[in-house]
Amino acid sequence: MAWSDEELVARSIGGDVDSFNQLILRWERPIYALAYRVIGREEDARDVCQETFLRAFRALPGFKGQAKFSSWLYRIALNLCRDWIRRQRRAPLMQPPEGVELVDLVSERGPSESIEELVARQELSAIVEQAMALLSEEQRTAIILKEYHGMTFQEIADLQGCPLSTVKTRLYQGLTVLRRHLLKNEKTAPELVKHI
Amino acid sequence: MSLDYQCGDPSALTSYLYDECEPAERCAIEAHLAICTTCAEEVEALRATRARLASWAPPTGALGFRIVASSPKPASEPDPAPVLTSPRWWQRPLPAWAQAAAAVLIFASGALMGVGVTRPSVPPDSASTIVSERPIDAIPMRTAGVSPADLAALEDRLRSEFVKARQADGHVRPVRAAVSEEQLMQQVRELVAESEQRQQRELAFRTAQVVRDLDSQRQVDLARIERTMGQMEGAAGVEVRQQRQMLNYLIRAAQRQQ
Repeated sequence: MAWSDEELVARSIGGDVDSFNQLILRWERPIYALAYRVIGREEDARDVCQETFLRAFRALPGFKGQAKFSSWLYRIALNLCRDWIRRQRRAPLMQPPEGVELVDLVSERGPSESIEELVARQELSAIVEQAMALLSEEQRTAIILKEYHGMTFQEIADLQGCPLSTVKTRLYQGLTVLRRHLLKNEKTAPELVKHI
Repeated sequence: MSLDYQCGDPSALTSYLYDECEPAERCAIEAHLAICTTCAEEVEALRATRARLASWAPPTGALGFRIVASSPKPASEPDPAPVLTSPRWWQRPLPAWAQAAAAVLIFASGALMGVGVTRPSVPPDSASTIVSERPIDAIPMRTAGVSPADLAALEDRLRSEFVKARQADGHVRPVRAAVSEEQLMQQVRELVAESEQRQQRELAFRTAQVVRDLDSQRQVDLARIERTMGQMEGAAGVEVRQQRQMLNYLIRAAQRQQ
Protein backbone atom coordinates (compact mmCIF):
# COMPACT_ATOMS: atom_id res chain seq x y z
CA MET A 1 0.00 0.00 0.00
CA ALA A 2 1.29 3.44 -0.91
CA TRP A 3 1.51 5.90 1.94
CA SER A 4 -0.09 9.32 1.54
CA ASP A 5 2.07 12.44 1.69
CA GLU A 6 0.71 13.25 5.12
CA GLU A 7 1.56 9.81 6.47
CA LEU A 8 5.06 9.96 5.04
CA VAL A 9 5.54 13.43 6.51
CA ALA A 10 4.48 12.18 9.93
CA ARG A 11 6.87 9.26 9.73
CA SER A 12 9.66 11.55 8.54
CA ILE A 13 9.12 13.86 11.49
CA GLY A 14 9.37 10.79 13.67
CA GLY A 15 12.88 10.20 12.32
CA ASP A 16 12.22 7.82 9.45
CA VAL A 17 14.58 9.04 6.73
CA ASP A 18 13.33 6.46 4.24
CA SER A 19 9.88 7.98 4.38
CA PHE A 20 11.29 11.34 3.43
CA ASN A 21 13.19 9.68 0.60
CA GLN A 22 9.88 8.34 -0.66
CA LEU A 23 8.53 11.89 -0.63
CA ILE A 24 11.57 13.00 -2.61
CA LEU A 25 11.04 10.23 -5.12
CA ARG A 26 7.42 11.26 -5.47
CA TRP A 27 8.01 14.98 -5.87
CA GLU A 28 11.49 15.49 -7.31
CA ARG A 29 10.35 15.35 -10.92
CA PRO A 30 7.55 17.96 -10.60
CA ILE A 31 9.78 20.24 -8.53
CA TYR A 32 12.62 19.90 -10.99
CA ALA A 33 10.26 20.59 -13.91
CA LEU A 34 8.95 23.67 -12.13
CA ALA A 35 12.46 24.98 -11.42
CA TYR A 36 13.62 24.27 -14.95
CA ARG A 37 10.69 26.05 -16.55
CA VAL A 38 10.96 29.05 -14.24
CA ILE A 39 14.72 29.62 -14.41
CA GLY A 40 15.45 27.91 -17.71
CA ARG A 41 18.80 26.32 -16.88
CA GLU A 42 19.18 22.61 -16.38
CA GLU A 43 22.05 22.57 -13.91
CA ASP A 44 20.68 25.43 -11.82
CA ALA A 45 17.26 23.81 -11.79
CA ARG A 46 18.88 20.66 -10.44
CA ASP A 47 20.55 22.68 -7.69
CA VAL A 48 17.30 24.43 -6.83
CA CYS A 49 15.53 21.07 -6.68
CA GLN A 50 18.16 19.63 -4.37
CA GLU A 51 18.12 22.69 -2.14
CA THR A 52 14.32 22.56 -1.98
CA PHE A 53 14.33 19.08 -0.49
CA LEU A 54 17.20 19.88 1.83
CA ARG A 55 15.36 22.90 3.21
CA ALA A 56 12.15 20.96 3.46
CA PHE A 57 13.89 18.23 5.42
CA ARG A 58 15.46 20.70 7.81
CA ALA A 59 12.19 22.57 8.29
CA LEU A 60 10.07 19.44 8.57
CA PRO A 61 9.64 19.65 12.38
CA GLY A 62 8.08 23.09 11.86
CA PHE A 63 5.62 21.84 9.23
CA LYS A 64 2.27 21.70 10.97
CA GLY A 65 0.19 20.62 8.02
CA GLN A 66 -1.60 23.94 7.51
CA ALA A 67 -1.17 23.43 3.78
CA LYS A 68 -0.65 20.37 1.64
CA PHE A 69 2.90 19.07 1.70
CA SER A 70 3.16 19.59 -2.05
CA SER A 71 2.04 23.23 -1.75
CA TRP A 72 4.62 23.77 0.96
CA LEU A 73 7.27 22.21 -1.26
CA TYR A 74 6.23 24.33 -4.24
CA ARG A 75 6.47 27.43 -2.10
CA ILE A 76 10.03 26.60 -1.04
CA ALA A 77 11.00 25.87 -4.64
CA LEU A 78 9.45 29.08 -5.95
CA ASN A 79 11.22 31.13 -3.27
CA LEU A 80 14.51 29.56 -4.29
CA CYS A 81 13.77 30.25 -7.96
CA ARG A 82 12.98 33.85 -7.10
CA ASP A 83 16.27 34.15 -5.21
CA TRP A 84 18.09 32.67 -8.17
CA ILE A 85 16.49 35.13 -10.58
CA ARG A 86 17.35 38.05 -8.32
CA ARG A 87 20.93 36.87 -8.15
CA GLN A 88 21.09 36.78 -11.90
CA ARG A 89 19.93 40.43 -11.98
CA ARG A 90 18.34 39.91 -15.33
CA ALA A 91 15.42 38.17 -16.94
CA PRO A 92 16.24 34.50 -17.11
CA LEU A 93 17.20 33.21 -20.49
CA MET A 94 15.44 30.13 -21.63
CA GLN A 95 18.13 27.95 -23.09
CA PRO A 96 17.71 24.73 -24.93
CA PRO A 97 18.20 21.81 -22.58
CA GLU A 98 21.91 21.08 -22.31
CA GLY A 99 21.68 17.34 -21.92
CA VAL A 100 18.71 16.51 -24.07
CA GLU A 101 19.27 15.85 -27.71
CA LEU A 102 17.36 14.16 -30.42
CA VAL A 103 19.04 10.86 -29.72
CA ASP A 104 17.69 11.01 -26.18
CA LEU A 105 14.26 11.94 -27.35
CA VAL A 106 14.18 9.16 -29.91
CA SER A 107 13.91 6.63 -27.12
CA GLU A 108 10.98 8.58 -25.66
CA ARG A 109 8.89 8.87 -28.77
CA GLY A 110 5.94 6.66 -29.24
CA PRO A 111 5.92 3.93 -31.84
CA SER A 112 3.67 5.98 -34.09
CA GLU A 113 5.82 9.11 -34.02
CA SER A 114 8.14 9.57 -36.96
CA ILE A 115 11.52 11.24 -36.75
CA GLU A 116 9.95 14.07 -38.70
CA GLU A 117 7.32 14.61 -36.05
CA LEU A 118 9.97 14.33 -33.39
CA VAL A 119 12.05 17.10 -34.93
CA ALA A 120 8.99 19.28 -35.31
CA ARG A 121 8.06 18.69 -31.66
CA GLN A 122 11.52 19.62 -30.48
CA GLU A 123 11.59 22.75 -32.57
CA LEU A 124 8.15 23.77 -31.38
CA SER A 125 9.30 23.16 -27.82
CA ALA A 126 12.16 25.59 -28.41
CA ILE A 127 9.73 28.16 -29.78
CA VAL A 128 7.56 27.82 -26.68
CA GLU A 129 10.65 28.30 -24.51
CA GLN A 130 11.54 31.47 -26.37
CA ALA A 131 7.99 32.74 -26.00
CA MET A 132 7.94 32.00 -22.28
CA ALA A 133 11.14 34.01 -21.87
CA LEU A 134 9.23 37.07 -23.05
CA LEU A 135 6.89 36.97 -20.07
CA SER A 136 7.44 38.62 -16.72
CA GLU A 137 8.47 36.35 -13.89
CA GLU A 138 4.98 36.52 -12.34
CA GLN A 139 3.17 35.75 -15.58
CA ARG A 140 5.54 32.91 -16.41
CA THR A 141 5.21 31.36 -12.96
CA ALA A 142 1.42 31.62 -13.03
CA ILE A 143 1.23 29.95 -16.44
CA ILE A 144 3.68 27.22 -15.44
CA LEU A 145 1.76 26.43 -12.26
CA LYS A 146 -1.52 26.37 -14.14
CA GLU A 147 -0.54 24.63 -17.36
CA TYR A 148 2.04 22.15 -16.16
CA HIS A 149 1.11 21.58 -12.54
CA GLY A 150 -2.67 21.83 -12.79
CA MET A 151 -3.11 24.18 -9.86
CA THR A 152 -6.29 26.11 -9.23
CA PHE A 153 -6.45 29.90 -9.35
CA GLN A 154 -6.68 29.93 -5.56
CA GLU A 155 -3.62 27.71 -5.10
CA ILE A 156 -1.61 29.93 -7.43
CA ALA A 157 -2.82 33.02 -5.60
CA ASP A 158 -1.70 31.51 -2.30
CA LEU A 159 1.71 30.61 -3.69
CA GLN A 160 2.24 33.95 -5.37
CA GLY A 161 0.79 35.91 -2.47
CA CYS A 162 -1.62 37.92 -4.62
CA PRO A 163 -5.39 38.22 -5.12
CA LEU A 164 -7.17 35.67 -7.25
CA SER A 165 -8.11 38.34 -9.80
CA THR A 166 -4.42 39.14 -10.26
CA VAL A 167 -3.71 35.50 -11.07
CA LYS A 168 -6.38 35.55 -13.78
CA THR A 169 -4.98 38.75 -15.20
CA ARG A 170 -1.47 37.31 -15.27
CA LEU A 171 -2.71 34.19 -17.01
CA TYR A 172 -4.72 36.10 -19.58
CA GLN A 173 -1.97 38.58 -20.37
CA GLY A 174 0.66 35.87 -20.45
CA LEU A 175 -1.37 33.71 -22.81
CA THR A 176 -1.96 36.71 -25.05
CA VAL A 177 1.78 37.37 -25.34
CA LEU A 178 2.44 33.70 -26.01
CA ARG A 179 -0.30 33.55 -28.59
CA ARG A 180 1.17 36.53 -30.47
CA HIS A 181 4.66 35.07 -30.43
CA LEU A 182 3.55 31.60 -31.46
CA LEU A 183 1.40 33.02 -34.23
CA LYS A 184 4.39 34.93 -35.57
CA ASN A 185 6.46 31.77 -35.60
CA GLU A 186 3.63 29.81 -37.15
CA LYS A 187 3.69 32.23 -40.07
CA THR A 188 7.42 31.82 -40.52
CA ALA A 189 7.46 28.04 -40.00
CA PRO A 190 3.94 26.72 -40.60
CA GLU A 191 5.15 23.21 -41.35
CA LEU A 192 6.26 22.85 -37.73
CA VAL A 193 2.78 23.29 -36.37
CA LYS A 194 1.33 21.07 -39.07
CA HIS A 195 3.33 18.11 -37.79
CA ILE A 196 2.25 18.40 -34.18
CA MET B 1 -19.81 36.10 -9.78
CA SER B 2 -22.36 38.05 -11.71
CA LEU B 3 -24.33 36.31 -14.41
CA ASP B 4 -24.15 39.41 -16.57
CA TYR B 5 -21.17 38.63 -18.68
CA GLN B 6 -19.57 41.68 -20.22
CA CYS B 7 -18.23 41.20 -23.70
CA GLY B 8 -14.46 40.67 -23.68
CA ASP B 9 -14.11 40.43 -19.90
CA PRO B 10 -10.66 38.82 -19.57
CA SER B 11 -11.24 37.54 -16.04
CA ALA B 12 -14.41 35.70 -17.02
CA LEU B 13 -12.87 34.39 -20.23
CA THR B 14 -9.90 33.04 -18.26
CA SER B 15 -12.20 31.30 -15.79
CA TYR B 16 -14.13 29.81 -18.68
CA LEU B 17 -10.95 28.80 -20.49
CA TYR B 18 -9.66 26.88 -17.49
CA ASP B 19 -13.10 25.62 -16.54
CA GLU B 20 -12.99 27.25 -13.13
CA CYS B 21 -16.27 29.08 -13.08
CA GLU B 22 -19.69 28.46 -11.62
CA PRO B 23 -22.14 26.54 -13.81
CA ALA B 24 -24.39 29.59 -14.12
CA GLU B 25 -21.51 31.78 -15.19
CA ARG B 26 -20.41 29.14 -17.64
CA CYS B 27 -23.86 29.07 -19.19
CA ALA B 28 -23.88 32.86 -19.49
CA ILE B 29 -20.49 32.88 -21.21
CA GLU B 30 -21.43 30.05 -23.55
CA ALA B 31 -24.60 31.90 -24.53
CA HIS B 32 -22.54 34.96 -25.29
CA LEU B 33 -19.94 33.03 -27.28
CA ALA B 34 -22.72 31.66 -29.46
CA ILE B 35 -23.59 35.16 -30.65
CA CYS B 36 -20.24 37.00 -30.36
CA THR B 37 -17.69 36.00 -32.97
CA THR B 38 -14.94 38.13 -31.45
CA CYS B 39 -15.13 36.48 -28.04
CA ALA B 40 -15.52 33.03 -29.59
CA GLU B 41 -12.40 33.53 -31.69
CA GLU B 42 -10.53 34.84 -28.68
CA VAL B 43 -11.36 31.74 -26.66
CA GLU B 44 -10.42 29.44 -29.54
CA ALA B 45 -7.08 31.22 -30.04
CA LEU B 46 -6.27 30.94 -26.34
CA ARG B 47 -7.19 27.26 -26.40
CA ALA B 48 -4.87 26.71 -29.34
CA THR B 49 -2.09 28.54 -27.48
CA ARG B 50 -2.60 26.28 -24.48
CA ALA B 51 -2.39 23.25 -26.72
CA ARG B 52 0.95 24.44 -28.09
CA LEU B 53 2.33 24.86 -24.58
CA ALA B 54 2.02 21.11 -24.08
CA SER B 55 5.01 20.59 -26.37
CA TRP B 56 7.42 22.18 -23.88
CA ALA B 57 9.00 19.32 -21.95
CA PRO B 58 11.77 19.68 -19.38
CA PRO B 59 14.92 17.53 -19.65
CA THR B 60 14.48 13.97 -18.51
CA GLY B 61 17.88 13.29 -16.97
CA ALA B 62 18.15 11.24 -13.79
CA LEU B 63 17.80 13.12 -10.51
CA GLY B 64 17.95 10.52 -7.76
CA PHE B 65 18.23 12.83 -4.76
CA ARG B 66 17.99 11.16 -1.37
CA ILE B 67 18.69 11.90 2.23
CA VAL B 68 21.36 9.71 3.79
CA ALA B 69 22.63 9.59 7.36
CA SER B 70 26.34 10.39 7.36
CA SER B 71 27.52 7.70 9.84
CA PRO B 72 26.36 5.57 12.75
CA LYS B 73 26.44 7.50 16.00
CA PRO B 74 27.28 6.63 19.56
CA ALA B 75 24.28 6.80 21.88
CA SER B 76 25.65 9.82 23.70
CA GLU B 77 26.07 11.95 20.60
CA PRO B 78 23.31 13.88 18.86
CA ASP B 79 21.90 12.72 15.52
CA PRO B 80 24.37 13.06 12.68
CA ALA B 81 23.53 15.78 10.21
CA PRO B 82 21.69 14.32 7.26
CA VAL B 83 23.01 15.02 3.83
CA LEU B 84 21.15 15.22 0.57
CA THR B 85 23.04 13.43 -2.11
CA SER B 86 22.67 13.83 -5.79
CA PRO B 87 24.35 11.97 -8.62
CA ARG B 88 28.10 11.99 -8.17
CA TRP B 89 30.10 14.85 -9.58
CA TRP B 90 31.71 12.73 -12.25
CA GLN B 91 28.25 11.82 -13.53
CA ARG B 92 27.43 15.47 -14.05
CA PRO B 93 28.92 17.85 -16.61
CA LEU B 94 31.73 19.99 -15.24
CA PRO B 95 30.77 23.62 -14.74
CA ALA B 96 32.43 26.14 -17.03
CA TRP B 97 34.62 27.61 -14.28
CA ALA B 98 36.00 24.17 -13.40
CA GLN B 99 36.75 23.40 -17.03
CA ALA B 100 38.52 26.75 -17.37
CA ALA B 101 40.48 26.21 -14.15
CA ALA B 102 41.57 22.74 -15.25
CA ALA B 103 42.62 24.06 -18.63
CA VAL B 104 44.65 26.86 -17.03
CA LEU B 105 46.32 24.48 -14.60
CA ILE B 106 47.22 22.00 -17.32
CA PHE B 107 48.46 24.72 -19.61
CA ALA B 108 50.53 26.31 -16.85
CA SER B 109 52.15 23.02 -15.80
CA GLY B 110 52.83 22.09 -19.43
CA ALA B 111 54.33 25.48 -20.13
CA LEU B 112 56.43 25.30 -16.99
CA MET B 113 57.92 21.95 -17.95
CA GLY B 114 58.28 23.00 -21.55
CA VAL B 115 60.35 25.98 -20.49
CA GLY B 116 62.46 23.82 -18.20
CA VAL B 117 63.32 21.31 -20.90
CA THR B 118 63.40 23.16 -24.18
CA ARG B 119 65.12 26.35 -23.15
CA PRO B 120 68.68 25.85 -21.92
CA SER B 121 69.86 28.22 -19.27
CA VAL B 122 71.93 31.04 -20.72
CA PRO B 123 74.23 33.16 -18.62
CA PRO B 124 73.37 36.84 -18.71
CA ASP B 125 76.67 37.79 -20.25
CA SER B 126 76.54 35.38 -23.20
CA ALA B 127 76.18 36.46 -26.82
CA SER B 128 72.96 38.14 -27.78
CA THR B 129 72.06 35.40 -30.30
CA ILE B 130 70.83 32.42 -28.38
CA VAL B 131 71.80 29.14 -29.94
CA SER B 132 70.37 25.92 -28.69
CA GLU B 133 72.91 23.57 -27.16
CA ARG B 134 71.28 20.71 -28.99
CA PRO B 135 70.10 20.43 -32.57
CA ILE B 136 66.41 21.13 -33.01
CA ASP B 137 65.68 17.49 -33.84
CA ALA B 138 67.16 16.40 -30.56
CA ILE B 139 64.76 18.52 -28.54
CA PRO B 140 61.70 16.46 -27.68
CA MET B 141 58.41 17.92 -28.80
CA ARG B 142 56.10 18.98 -25.98
CA THR B 143 52.58 17.69 -26.02
CA ALA B 144 49.60 18.30 -23.83
CA GLY B 145 50.23 15.04 -21.93
CA VAL B 146 52.47 14.89 -18.85
CA SER B 147 54.87 11.97 -18.64
CA PRO B 148 56.61 10.61 -15.53
CA ALA B 149 59.88 11.98 -16.90
CA ASP B 150 58.34 15.44 -16.98
CA LEU B 151 57.26 15.06 -13.41
CA ALA B 152 60.74 13.99 -12.38
CA ALA B 153 62.25 16.98 -14.20
CA LEU B 154 59.81 19.32 -12.50
CA GLU B 155 60.67 17.81 -9.15
CA ASP B 156 64.41 18.21 -9.73
CA ARG B 157 64.00 21.76 -10.86
CA LEU B 158 61.87 22.68 -7.87
CA ARG B 159 64.39 21.04 -5.56
CA SER B 160 67.27 23.00 -7.06
CA GLU B 161 65.28 26.23 -6.80
CA PHE B 162 64.51 25.57 -3.18
CA VAL B 163 68.19 24.94 -2.49
CA LYS B 164 69.16 28.14 -4.28
CA ALA B 165 66.58 30.11 -2.36
CA ARG B 166 67.85 28.73 0.93
CA GLN B 167 71.42 29.55 0.03
CA ALA B 168 70.44 33.04 -1.03
CA ASP B 169 68.66 33.64 2.26
CA GLY B 170 71.61 32.20 4.23
CA HIS B 171 69.03 30.44 6.28
CA VAL B 172 69.78 27.00 7.65
CA ARG B 173 66.62 25.00 7.96
CA PRO B 174 66.16 22.38 10.63
CA VAL B 175 66.26 18.74 9.66
CA ARG B 176 62.52 18.27 9.92
CA ALA B 177 62.10 20.82 7.14
CA ALA B 178 63.28 18.15 4.71
CA VAL B 179 60.24 16.15 5.57
CA SER B 180 57.89 19.04 4.89
CA GLU B 181 59.69 19.68 1.63
CA GLU B 182 59.12 16.09 0.67
CA GLN B 183 55.48 16.50 1.57
CA LEU B 184 55.35 19.60 -0.56
CA MET B 185 56.80 17.71 -3.48
CA GLN B 186 54.30 14.97 -2.90
CA GLN B 187 51.51 17.54 -3.03
CA VAL B 188 52.90 18.97 -6.25
CA ARG B 189 53.02 15.51 -7.77
CA GLU B 190 49.47 14.84 -6.67
CA LEU B 191 48.27 18.13 -8.08
CA VAL B 192 49.92 17.45 -11.42
CA ALA B 193 48.51 13.93 -11.51
CA GLU B 194 45.09 15.26 -10.65
CA SER B 195 45.24 17.86 -13.37
CA GLU B 196 46.24 15.18 -15.83
CA GLN B 197 43.23 13.10 -14.83
CA ARG B 198 41.00 16.12 -15.20
CA GLN B 199 42.37 16.73 -18.63
CA GLN B 200 41.66 13.17 -19.67
CA ARG B 201 38.16 13.39 -18.28
CA GLU B 202 37.58 16.64 -20.07
CA LEU B 203 38.83 15.16 -23.32
CA ALA B 204 36.54 12.16 -22.94
CA PHE B 205 33.62 14.41 -22.11
CA ARG B 206 34.25 16.67 -25.07
CA THR B 207 34.68 13.75 -27.42
CA ALA B 208 31.39 12.24 -26.29
CA GLN B 209 29.72 15.61 -26.69
CA VAL B 210 31.03 16.04 -30.23
CA VAL B 211 29.89 12.55 -31.20
CA ARG B 212 26.48 13.18 -29.72
CA ASP B 213 26.18 16.56 -31.44
CA LEU B 214 27.16 15.07 -34.76
CA ASP B 215 24.66 12.28 -34.37
CA SER B 216 21.89 14.69 -33.45
CA GLN B 217 22.71 16.99 -36.32
CA ARG B 218 22.72 14.05 -38.70
CA GLN B 219 19.25 13.03 -37.52
CA VAL B 220 17.95 16.56 -37.94
CA ASP B 221 19.48 16.89 -41.39
CA LEU B 222 18.06 13.56 -42.49
CA ALA B 223 14.62 14.54 -41.28
CA ARG B 224 14.80 17.88 -43.04
CA ILE B 225 15.98 16.28 -46.25
CA GLU B 226 13.18 13.77 -46.01
CA ARG B 227 10.67 16.53 -45.41
CA THR B 228 11.98 18.65 -48.28
CA MET B 229 12.00 15.65 -50.60
CA GLY B 230 8.43 14.95 -49.65
CA GLN B 231 7.44 18.52 -50.43
CA MET B 232 9.30 18.41 -53.75
CA GLU B 233 7.67 15.15 -54.67
CA GLY B 234 4.29 16.61 -53.82
CA ALA B 235 4.96 19.73 -55.89
CA ALA B 236 6.29 17.69 -58.82
CA GLY B 237 3.24 15.44 -58.66
CA VAL B 238 0.92 18.42 -58.87
CA GLU B 239 2.79 19.81 -61.87
CA VAL B 240 2.72 16.47 -63.69
CA ARG B 241 -0.99 16.19 -63.02
CA GLN B 242 -1.59 19.69 -64.37
CA GLN B 243 0.47 19.01 -67.48
CA ARG B 244 -1.38 15.78 -68.05
CA GLN B 245 -4.71 17.58 -67.77
CA MET B 246 -3.48 20.25 -70.15
CA LEU B 247 -2.32 17.59 -72.62
CA ASN B 248 -5.66 15.79 -72.41
CA TYR B 249 -7.44 19.07 -73.01
CA LEU B 250 -5.31 19.83 -76.04
CA ILE B 251 -5.86 16.35 -77.45
CA ARG B 252 -9.61 16.65 -76.97
CA ALA B 253 -9.62 20.12 -78.56
CA ALA B 254 -7.60 18.83 -81.53
CA GLN B 255 -9.99 15.87 -81.94
CA ARG B 256 -12.98 18.22 -81.88
CA GLN B 257 -11.48 20.39 -84.62
CA GLN B 258 -10.83 17.34 -86.79
